[in-house]
Amino acid sequence: MSESNTAAFFRAEGTLINSGVLQAAAYMASQRAGMRERLLRFGQTALAAPIFGVLGQNDRALGNRVAHLSYRDISEDRVVVLAEEYVEDILKEKVLDSGLELMKKAKKDGHRIVVISEGISEIMEGVRPHLRYVDDLVCNRLEYKDHKATGRLLEPVVGGYDGGKWLKEYARKHEIDLERSVAFAGHGPDLLLLSSVGQPCAVNPDFTLRKAAKEADWPIMEFNA
Amino acid sequence: MSISLHQEYDGKHVLLTGGTGFVGKVWLVMALMRLPNIARIYVLMRGKGRNVNDRWIKMVNENPAFRPLHELHGADLSRFIAERVEVVPGTLDSAQMSIEDSVADRLRENVDLIVNCAGLVDFNPDVRVAVSSNLDGSMHVADFAASCKKAAMIHVSTCYVAGTKDGFIPETIAETAPNGQPLDPEAEYVRLKEIIEETEAENESEETVRTLTEEVVARLEKRGYEPTEKRVSGTVGRLKAKRLREVMAQAGTDRAKELGWPNTYTYTKALAEMLTKVRYPNLRHTVLRPAIVESALSFPFPGWNEGFNTSGPLIYLAGTWFRHIPAKAGNPLDIIPVDLVVNGIFIAGAAVMRGEHEEVYQTGSSDRAFLPIDRLTELSALGHRQHLRKTGADRVEKLILSRWDALASDPEHVLNVSNIREVVFQVTRYLRHGRPEKIPREWKDEAESLAKSGDKAQRKLRQIEEVLDLFMPFTYDHYMVFEARALDKHPIDEPEFRFQPEDIDWRQYWLECHMPGLRRWCFPSQYENKETETYTPAVPFEMLEGESLAPIPNQAASEAAR
Repeated sequence: MSESNTAAFFRAEGTLINSGVLQAAAYMASQRAGMRERLLRFGQTALAAPIFGVLGQNDRALGNRVAHLSYRDISEDRVVVLAEEYVEDILKEKVLDSGLELMKKAKKDGHRIVVISEGISEIMEGVRPHLRYVDDLVCNRLEYKDHKATGRLLEPVVGGYDGGKWLKEYARKHEIDLERSVAFAGHGPDLLLLSSVGQPCAVNPDFTLRKAAKEADWPIMEFNA
Repeated sequence: MSISLHQEYDGKHVLLTGGTGFVGKVWLVMALMRLPNIARIYVLMRGKGRNVNDRWIKMVNENPAFRPLHELHGADLSRFIAERVEVVPGTLDSAQMSIEDSVADRLRENVDLIVNCAGLVDFNPDVRVAVSSNLDGSMHVADFAASCKKAAMIHVSTCYVAGTKDGFIPETIAETAPNGQPLDPEAEYVRLKEIIEETEAENESEETVRTLTEEVVARLEKRGYEPTEKRVSGTVGRLKAKRLREVMAQAGTDRAKELGWPNTYTYTKALAEMLTKVRYPNLRHTVLRPAIVESALSFPFPGWNEGFNTSGPLIYLAGTWFRHIPAKAGNPLDIIPVDLVVNGIFIAGAAVMRGEHEEVYQTGSSDRAFLPIDRLTELSALGHRQHLRKTGADRVEKLILSRWDALASDPEHVLNVSNIREVVFQVTRYLRHGRPEKIPREWKDEAESLAKSGDKAQRKLRQIEEVLDLFMPFTYDHYMVFEARALDKHPIDEPEFRFQPEDIDWRQYWLECHMPGLRRWCFPSQYENKETETYTPAVPFEMLEGESLAPIPNQAASEAAR
């Protein structure tokens, strides 16, 4: 296997971007057409927050499904326009310089840069140019019917324990040597993703991942800027 | 077998009417850009008090549709056009289209195809004008085509000749009125002329004159003028002329509605189709019906639009504080970009010249790229949002108006335009007549100033109300899907001429093409009291000396050369 067939996997949330899916869902909800719809969907997002917080430590896939329920009935047109706005007004300022440095170094080291995000494709494709070094972007996709979001995410839902399985499949398809690959992530459910590569690194880890990283003697990085 | 439009139009002579209109101009520029081997295009132009050549030069030099031609040919454009275009003075008002005899004879001999894009597109005009333009004008063109040695004809109509119907509208010429009543077009034409005569007679009747005279005398006396005979008769004469236009418009609308058409425009266009079919059974002709013709997808350039159009007022409204657009969610508004319509005209033109044509070709999008009006309304709101966030005049526009989303809603919604106007009226009346007498003078001045703003708002709201009423048959009352398959029977070799509405990405079209196009080319003159932007070429086009009627290429020679 050649030197170039290695990858650097980055979980976007917490590692590259200092913002999560709830903030995006709340922004979208607050910009729905009509006051009634805005209040309803914003309330829905607010209710989803504690559920997401609790599930986030364990099954983030389910947490993501709950967080994205507030997208129900929003038109694809509106999602696309608002996503552009959200990236321009908010998200591009939340890109972590230290995360970009990590990507730059990984790129320099000859890794293929793969970003994995819980965010929806409309937003993540918009932020992609600001992440500069991305070779491959894997993110969640909303399901649409007649140009309206159903509130469901298309499979596979990013964020859950399936991450490790997905990673192996990805490595097989792209002939990536996982032993020589690196991964950066910050959430409990990313454990399997991190443990699948030879050089894992916990970045700004949550409680579960910090504990596991210490036990496994993985490097831990902390940065906010 | 597929058709090559380059081959079909090579060496052909085409007479174009309505060449100064939106569709006609795009047809002309596209013909000159993409079919440079066309032998000759005769552009029929009305003088309208100015020298025809001056109007032609002004159009080619200033109209932005001609920009690609200037960019392509630069200083050589004058020669290029002189070799291919002949401006023919004439009007559709009279037989032989008022074309000078010698020119008409020459055209009868040479013309292969007549493209009739002329017509009046006002929805409810004076019925005499509508008849003269849409009916008699069309008959004059057909009559001329029938007198030509070899000319085929394509008549540009509208999909909305279907009238107030629901459902799938096929590509055929109906033999009944939209209300289902059998319609003899000749008898209906006679009836329409009778209606005009009756309306004229009613306007001249003693009773009308007496009523108007009494009104004028009362008004003069109220204003303190002496009602002299001269003063009264002059005013009555003016009022009578004004009244005649109004009652004529109403008479046309009433007749149209009686038979199931929403307005005089669609009624007279439908009658023209029927009459041509009945009167000229041996004329090789076809009808091309566009739906709502809007901004160009790509030709002459993305977003090109001009003049009055249907989606323009609705889109404009969506960018104001008025939110509730009366429209039924799920109903289509059949928008079609002008360049796709023109592609359709070229294809249908080739088919009719070959004698392989269908009776009717519809160029709409609802059959192949369905766009529901609620999606259109939301796209309009989103387009304004994007625009106002960047270019809003102040913080209110940037932060609030940009998020003030327009919604498709029921016409009876409590915040409909009529109720808003009533509230404004009541507030204005209170400010003027109901306010307390004993208030400071500054407050009175302020109240008067607010009342004046109220008057202005009322006028604007009334205009909006009228526009919405006009479009209600298309936006709310009826669900119409126009079949658009006949053009597919003529596969075309050249991809740039294909009619493929299914390829339209509505979001991209609406936000990046149509709305910016309207903002640049239509809103300034229609809503903002500004001059429409014109084009200034680096090297102006001029009619070359002695070539305003350039020699006709020898057809036999050019055919032999081919």
